[in-house]
Amino acid sequence: MKRTPISVWAALAVLAAVTAAAAFAPWLVPGATDQDLMTGITGPGPGHPLGTDDLGRDVLDLLIAGARTAVPGAFAVAAGSMLIGNLIGLTAGYFGGWADTLAMRWADLMFSLPALLVAIVVAGVLGGGYGLAIAVLVVLFAPTDTRVVRGAVLEQRHRPYIEAAVLKNLSAWRIMTRHIWPNIASVALANAFLNFAYALVSLSSLSFLGLGVAAGSPDWGRTLADNRTQLLANPWAVIAPGLAVIATAAALNIVGDWLHERVDRRGRAR
Amino acid sequence: MGWGRFALRRLAGTAVVVLLLSAGVFGLLYLAPGSVQQTLLGTRPATAETIAAIQARYHLGDPVTVQYLRWFGDVLRGDLGTSIRTGAPVSGMLADRVPLTLALTAYGTLLAALAGIPLGVLGALRRGRAADRLVVTAGVAGLSAPPFAVGLLLLVVFAGWLGWFPGYGTGEGLADQLWHLTLPAAALAVGAVGMLLRFSRAALVRELDQDYVVFARARGLAAPVVLGYALRNSLVPMLTAAGLVVTGMLAGTVLVEVVFALPGLGSLLVDSVTFKDVPVVQALALLLTLLIAAVNLLVDIGYALADPRVRLGGGAS
Amino acid sequence: MLRVEGLSVRQPATGRTLLSEVSFDVAPGESVAIVGESGSGKSLTARAVLGLLPAGLAASGLVEVGGRRVDDDPRAQRRQRGSTVSLLMQDPFTLLNPLRKAGKQIADGLPRGADPKTEVPRLLAEVGLPADVAGRYPFQLSGGMRQRVGLAAALAAAPRVLLADEPTTALDATTQREVLALIRRVQRERDMTFLLITHDLRLAFSMCDRVVVMYAGRVMEVGRAADLRREQRHPYTRALLAAEPPADRRLAAIPAVPGSVPAHDAVAGQCAFTDRCSLALAECRASVPPLRPAGDAGRLSACVRAGDLPAAPAPPLGVAAPVRTASEPVLDLRGLRKTFPGSARPALAGVSLTVAPGEIVAVVGESGSGKTTLARCVTGLERPDAGTILLGGRDCSDYARMSREAVRQARRTAQMIFQDPYSTLNPARTVGATLKEALVADGRPADVAALMELVGLDPALAALRPANLSGGERQRVAIARAVAGEPALLVCDEPVSALDVSVQAQVLGLLAGLRERLSTGMLFITHDLAVVRQLADRLYVLKAGECVESGPVDRVLDEPAHPYTRDLLASVPDGTSRWPG
Repeated sequence: MKRTPISVWAALAVLAAVTAAAAFAPWLVPGATDQDLMTGITGPGPGHPLGTDDLGRDVLDLLIAGARTAVPGAFAVAAGSMLIGNLIGLTAGYFGGWADTLAMRWADLMFSLPALLVAIVVAGVLGGGYGLAIAVLVVLFAPTDTRVVRGAVLEQRHRPYIEAAVLKNLSAWRIMTRHIWPNIASVALANAFLNFAYALVSLSSLSFLGLGVAAGSPDWGRTLADNRTQLLANPWAVIAPGLAVIATAAALNIVGDWLHERVDRRGRAR
Repeated sequence: MGWGRFALRRLAGTAVVVLLLSAGVFGLLYLAPGSVQQTLLGTRPATAETIAAIQARYHLGDPVTVQYLRWFGDVLRGDLGTSIRTGAPVSGMLADRVPLTLALTAYGTLLAALAGIPLGVLGALRRGRAADRLVVTAGVAGLSAPPFAVGLLLLVVFAGWLGWFPGYGTGEGLADQLWHLTLPAAALAVGAVGMLLRFSRAALVRELDQDYVVFARARGLAAPVVLGYALRNSLVPMLTAAGLVVTGMLAGTVLVEVVFALPGLGSLLVDSVTFKDVPVVQALALLLTLLIAAVNLLVDIGYALADPRVRLGGGAS
Repeated sequence: MLRVEGLSVRQPATGRTLLSEVSFDVAPGESVAIVGESGSGKSLTARAVLGLLPAGLAASGLVEVGGRRVDDDPRAQRRQRGSTVSLLMQDPFTLLNPLRKAGKQIADGLPRGADPKTEVPRLLAEVGLPADVAGRYPFQLSGGMRQRVGLAAALAAAPRVLLADEPTTALDATTQREVLALIRRVQRERDMTFLLITHDLRLAFSMCDRVVVMYAGRVMEVGRAADLRREQRHPYTRALLAAEPPADRRLAAIPAVPGSVPAHDAVAGQCAFTDRCSLALAECRASVPPLRPAGDAGRLSACVRAGDLPAAPAPPLGVAAPVRTASEPVLDLRGLRKTFPGSARPALAGVSLTVAPGEIVAVVGESGSGKTTLARCVTGLERPDAGTILLGGRDCSDYARMSREAVRQARRTAQMIFQDPYSTLNPARTVGATLKEALVADGRPADVAALMELVGLDPALAALRPANLSGGERQRVAIARAVAGEPALLVCDEPVSALDVSVQAQVLGLLAGLRERLSTGMLFITHDLAVVRQLADRLYVLKAGECVESGPVDRVLDEPAHPYTRDLLASVPDGTSRWPG
């Protein structure tokens, strides 16, 4: 077994920091959204390592508080689509037939549409809102899980160990959950991580367009949007949340890739 | 199977997809909160006159399927209705803005392909070495970066600090326009580079491990010929990536046009969505659907060109 | 022409050694076979000669091709590939570029200046293919044709040395014989030096002048084919030859070698075969015995007792297959038909057969004969289009229409074991969990230890996952799972064809023993007539979904009535140079 590469450790560290920020933001930075119009927008200086935005809010505090909005939503999208996608993918792949054809046609159709674009249109027409954005993204992301899981199930479906389980008269549910799923769980999990990253990017994009969280909320995409007119006064108010999104998404992608590669290696080492 | 039947089947498939999605697009009218009539009125006063105009246009009393068919018939005749916000015909609004968005997408795709594919090939050929690790890291970073964040970072660095590129506007004349579009196109391309690079690297790595590559080397074929074998076989996954890149870029233009304040379809979409200008949103959604369907059709045809098994209906092995 | 001395292959990342101190040479025009089971390092040796080791492996030692040392000069090695030394690989389905027409692939390898328009048809004719094959894609060709195209491509640059790595293992028996005959003809006509990599000792004797026997990354014995066939100077060679069952007579018991093939590093510092050798002495464990001249000219053996090995036991005599009294069949098939959707030809075109309790009935055929479809229909994994399946007298023709209880009855009557030992067990579950589940499903007390002892497994293995078991052990677990509920019928789909020869005999012995102890009837699907001869009472020969001949094993194999049966019999290598003809 190869050693875990440094990049994965770095990614895990980033994720730990972001998770901590998301979990403890109310205690770490209780006054993150307090406005201080007297100060207004300033560059980095004493007391404000990343400066303040035009409402006088500390950018670093906003960044920490923003994790609490940005991360749980993306996590909900990844987890929700993983649940739906795994159920549909397992069933479609295991039973095959017309249900499978139907599920796959649907997944193909959804897959060919850019999720963000559909989310913009639907969330926009419905009137926006964070919960709505999450629900729309779950529906749009589930097909990728479905495809991945179904593909993995099909690979296992006609292996002798599954057919032997069929011949032992085990129930379909037991075979799907106890025999197939443990063998494809790492693929499903790796895909969920990639979805997590993409959900983070998509949700922050929606917030940036004003279709996600409410104005003034401490969300990375929103902070970025709020401060883009002040680009020259304090660029850090734009750079910092941008980098936060990129770093978190990259960390999720790295962990997802690493999980995927481990599966690949195990497959080859059999 | 042959080309004729293949093309016919794919066209029929595309038509079905477009029809399905057009129904969804029409349904947007009913998705919007409040009654349809209210939605279509927008901020106009609800006088007998305006209501009659809406009735005449949308036949709200008819069954929904009839409404849909009428609407679809109008669309086929090129009549996309009028904007609630401006009162102008939607088709004209789109026509004004299509060129910019298409140019931006094409420019971005070009940049992404020129950077992504060669880097992916480089990574695959230098697998496991420093160059490869760098390429893989760049790919992850690219994939993780939302276009709006990249756009703003580019603005800060290249327009703000360095002043090499203009920050806003579209410019006059071809060269100047390209000049103005470079930063937006680059912002779009970053994510696409990540995706193309990953797909092409993964595909080539997989092919280079295949028996036919070992066999080709074992019988003394020159290295470029062997690489040609592998590249040709990784074309299909690369086409898949290319399709996803182009359709994804259509979504990215929305963000980038907002960041760079460019008057394209994307910024129109955001404005219309914010204003609940449903006829414009519908028209835009339909146009984007058509573009996406066209891209997917091209990718399908590309598969058939790249792989004789697709068009000749060969076995899996 | 080809000289290898002290060749070792290591994997620097893990520090594993896969191959050590391999030495042999091949004279111009000579044909030499490297024979070994899985993990012997035979394929790595061929790859190292070409300088084409898989990524992550490093070779050391001397390799000389055509009198020129190449191991230290990758550029020379690259230049020699094709024109001096070329390779034919195992799997015809993966060795050609799937997106390039056959003719172009052959033309790619032609020397500079050669005209593809004349050369490609000439090469195709040489390998017995019509010229129009040049315009076809690989997926439009059969396996045998692809392997011929592969041969033509390997020959395009007129190499002086041809390496062939298991060139026919993936092909059907009759095709295998044709392709081997072709390779030998071409080799003789071109006066090429030939190095054959194979797992089949008899095939090596038939095809080559000399044989190099490898085991766990080392050379065990070298000798002229005729000498080696007559007398083996290494216990491993002897065991390997004995474990390969003969097709012409039934043995009372197949001599099995205990244990399984070890990894190179597991037997470092001693003779690799010691742990499985019945003649081992203390000094066999003291150090690695070197290859030394032993007996007749050119004979080398790495056995410390090469000089004083006891005389090999006389070839065991054949025995008659036991006669079984007829009784009510446990399986009765009548007119079974099945055509897969999208297929023009039926997989089964009306097959009828019976299996009596305690009887082993073999179904023999090549790929596409429908034999596996037959097995899957019997166990309900596939639904026949027409015909009747009676299991223990109950109609089980269509599992979808049977009641839950009837399905359960049927499942407890018929169980199945599968070909691939690597995917036959759930990789995520321990052996104990797999067997316990099987016992519970069959309504038996969950006594896993007793079940494991029944199939000759150490109950301590129950805590392990399949990845930690050898192929033979996995197949035993699979058999245990199948017989957990003492089914009346065991359907065996090529259960030993993926196992090493020395392990195959163990599993066949186990199946024969289970038949006696549990009086289980067996439907034994195989392509291997030698296995049929050893194990089965009756056999059915299947061709393209139809049964062309059936009867008691001795009668059908001694006096085959149908030409196809005669073809199949002639395809078994007999170890003489008259074969493959």
